[in-house]
Amino acid sequence: MFELISPLFLSLVVGGTFIGIVFGAIPGMTATMAVAVCLPITYSLGLENGLALLLGLYVGGISGGLVPAILLGIPGTPSSITTTFDGFPLAQRGEGEKALRIGIVASFVGGLISLLVLWLFAPALADFAIKFSYVEKFLIILFALTVMAALSRDMLIGIFSGVLGIFIALIGTYDISDGGNGRYRLIPPGTEYWLDSGFSLLPVLIGLFGLAAILEQAERGVPKGHSKEDLKVGGKSTFSFSIFRGQTLNLIRSSGIGTFVGILPGVGGSAASILAYSNAKTFSKKPEAFGKGEPSGIIASESGNNGLTGGALVPLLSLGIPGDSTTALLIGAFTLQGIQVGPLFIGNNPDTWNAMIFAMLVANIAMLMMMYVAIRYFALVVTVPKHILFPVILMMCVIGAYTINYGIMFDVWTLLIFGIAGWVFVKLRLEVAPFIIGFILGPSAEVYFVKSLESFGTLGIFFTKSWIAMVLWVLIIGSVAGSVLLSRRQAARDRAAG
Amino acid sequence: MDSLTSITIDFERSHLVFPRIVGVVLFDLLVAILIRDRRRIAGAGTYWRDVMAEMDKVRFFGTLGLTLLYFSLMVPVGNIWPNTGRGFLFCSMPFVMAIGLLYMHERTVRKAVALAVVAVVGPVFVWWLFTYPFFLTLP
Amino acid sequence: MIRNSLLTAVSAAAITVAGAATFAQELPRNVRLVIGSTSTGGDTYQNSSIVADALAEHLGINVKVDAVGASEAFKALGRDSRGTTLMIFHDQSYLGNLYGREGYSDPFANYTVGPTVAINPGNAYLVSCDSPYQTMEDILGAAENGERVRVAIQPGGVSEIGFSAMKNAASVRSPGSEENLVAVNTGSQSDKNQAMWDDLADVINGSIQANEQFTQLPEDDEKCMRFVWITARSATLEQAPEAGMGDTTRDDLLQYAAPNVEVTLDGEQNFTFDKEFFFLFNPEMDPAIIEQVDTALSEIFAAGEIQERQKASFFIPNYLSIEDAQAHLMDKRDTYGEVIQQISGGS
Repeated sequence: MFELISPLFLSLVVGGTFIGIVFGAIPGMTATMAVAVCLPITYSLGLENGLALLLGLYVGGISGGLVPAILLGIPGTPSSITTTFDGFPLAQRGEGEKALRIGIVASFVGGLISLLVLWLFAPALADFAIKFSYVEKFLIILFALTVMAALSRDMLIGIFSGVLGIFIALIGTYDISDGGNGRYRLIPPGTEYWLDSGFSLLPVLIGLFGLAAILEQAERGVPKGHSKEDLKVGGKSTFSFSIFRGQTLNLIRSSGIGTFVGILPGVGGSAASILAYSNAKTFSKKPEAFGKGEPSGIIASESGNNGLTGGALVPLLSLGIPGDSTTALLIGAFTLQGIQVGPLFIGNNPDTWNAMIFAMLVANIAMLMMMYVAIRYFALVVTVPKHILFPVILMMCVIGAYTINYGIMFDVWTLLIFGIAGWVFVKLRLEVAPFIIGFILGPSAEVYFVKSLESFGTLGIFFTKSWIAMVLWVLIIGSVAGSVLLSRRQAARDRAAG
Repeated sequence: MDSLTSITIDFERSHLVFPRIVGVVLFDLLVAILIRDRRRIAGAGTYWRDVMAEMDKVRFFGTLGLTLLYFSLMVPVGNIWPNTGRGFLFCSMPFVMAIGLLYMHERTVRKAVALAVVAVVGPVFVWWLFTYPFFLTLP
Repeated sequence: MIRNSLLTAVSAAAITVAGAATFAQELPRNVRLVIGSTSTGGDTYQNSSIVADALAEHLGINVKVDAVGASEAFKALGRDSRGTTLMIFHDQSYLGNLYGREGYSDPFANYTVGPTVAINPGNAYLVSCDSPYQTMEDILGAAENGERVRVAIQPGGVSEIGFSAMKNAASVRSPGSEENLVAVNTGSQSDKNQAMWDDLADVINGSIQANEQFTQLPEDDEKCMRFVWITARSATLEQAPEAGMGDTTRDDLLQYAAPNVEVTLDGEQNFTFDKEFFFLFNPEMDPAIIEQVDTALSEIFAAGEIQERQKASFFIPNYLSIEDAQAHLMDKRDTYGEVIQQISGGS
């Protein structure tokens, strides 16, 4: 194994992690895109060195997303969406640096836990993952959707926003590659040319969070931003590791959720942090603090999405089936070198397998060190005058939207449509967070729901399929009940105060 | 029990199952909101008048107008030099400059020069990065 | 009009200034090659990037592969007749149309079908190791005896055509028995595998590349699978590397293909399906550009280097000049059109 680990190997991992972080940190650029861009280079690097680069990109890309999520309130990648909920309020209070440190440490822990799981249990977990049929996967998505209730300020309006998100996500074709029948629905007549594939997630995301925020600032006349003193950059930081005291359970649970969601093929990367966040809130002693700058929220979200990295490699390396869109590209790296991935991969290629584990470990350590060192520079972003920062962000959003699907202009228009929609939503007091969660999870919810009924022909199947389904129902009911209780308590407190 | 819950889905029409369910739920929620918040909704006219009155109209509609122009011009300009990303490059420079000037508070020459540097260097750097090392298509 | 001619004048000036002495009848310096798949890890992308690299080097131009997906790729191709946008896709382009999928028009009528470049010989059907069916013969026999056989496919294209052929064969052998072959409509390869493990399907569509390792698992492993049919022509498979794929040699693979496995087309011939990759052009594009691409390809294939790269990724090199390709693909389309007609009209 050790002859594979050369200085070149190490520098590729570290370099990959660095580029990945940059991609992740630019709103609209994702880990998937970083891997796609660098995939052709790996052909000449050979398998282990190529993988070293790609795995670095993967870990870096997932982690980098927390930077704009916290500092600008724009999720750098879809999987850091829940990081904005608590990270951005902290940054607005001038505690961006602290929030970044929390996020980075949580990412590192999430990455390590999932790596450990990958290393020790990969084949066994893959066998467990295939016990999840359409029914169980639907229940997992349903469970993730219950976070909508928890995130709503006003339960009725929040849920309406979430369902609206699902509805908008269904516009377009019922995608054949997901198991649909390829027919159009919900497309207004005359718009088929643009809407046949519906709205893509990333442009919607940066429209709602990026462009909409800039429009709102423009509406208020672009008030002057923070100065350096406000941010305490370089000054005393309020961060200390004591924040993590009492968070061990949260860290392990969230990393575990992230890893597990990664293992399930098709459930999707964004669901990992959403589920982790939702759980953290449900089990928290002070759930009302979530969404207002609660460190546990950042911890859950970031350990959840980095937990994904190890998890998504489990089905890839033990079944040949990618766990998310980024690992789907890794298959390309293997086939470029003529290496098959499937159930025999680990047994047939123990050296490659060990090299991959080692690369992931190095990538996580490199990510922690680089991001930790860079925090003070990241945090400076907020001190850039808004008349320079905003037009540059707008330009980057355009690039992200245009390149995400390799050059489709409609995605840029989607950005504008949802930028305006996001501004209108706030005015109408609709809630953006549940909306985007509905939008992200809607298509999977549809496929798994319809396919369950198509395959089993009875609604009863959702309750009788397996013990896993029963467990999931307990979690779903618990989560809903928790949200209802919380909102009751909140209402009572409001009445008492008012 | 089984007959109550049993459902047959015709694959050819399965694309409508979920949108219908979601549509019905959405409509019900909308009705519930309309009933609960009827008073607030009745006051929507004044609410929007206030929003418009407090709005910095130049900056808000300026942003929208410039963005619209930026997006509309990118492709036709790019078509002059196909597949080189210059539509993005040549439209981004004036766009960054214009938005920057729009958002600037005390418009001094010094600030404008700094902005102009960003408006040239930023798009050129990004364009170079995407066209050469990343090899991605820009408009 | 004035605006247009102004643009033309500006562009002409720009081109001259840039020093790129391009004439209208040549490929421009920067070409965008769109493909009918959104995956940059899949076979269409890999194959297209091999061809793009070769073309770029041979002609000294830039060729960028963009994985925009079928519907966007056709749109982009339709918008651009200057030769700055070309497309590579496979049999899905006409199969989608034959199966009546939305977003697929007849490529022979609306685009110019160009030279073929490669074949992916991997399309296969598999059963679980504990399946009572050992061969296609068993499956068709079971259908004849009134047993319901469920086949997991992704409907509307390459994944379905083999299933349509099975139904057609069943109907030729014993009219009416095709009713017992039922489609389980799923999506990706992982969904199809899962359908087998969930016992929702008896047979699944898969590929040599993605499923071979599952066929090497011990019999008692619940994930173990067995090939029953590889749809490629034996003439195609014979050009694959002798070592085959994984632990399955080329000779082993040939055991699962016609004529060793018989899925009849009309009672005499066997049905075969090769997934062929070919160029598609804008119908209004200057024929001289098409000519240039075709000539370049013929020279590239004559040089022989590209074949090595294709074979290393388990593709079968398959260059057919534009005339041969058009005749061949149209013929193929007509054959499959009849099969699809037969089973939908007959039932």
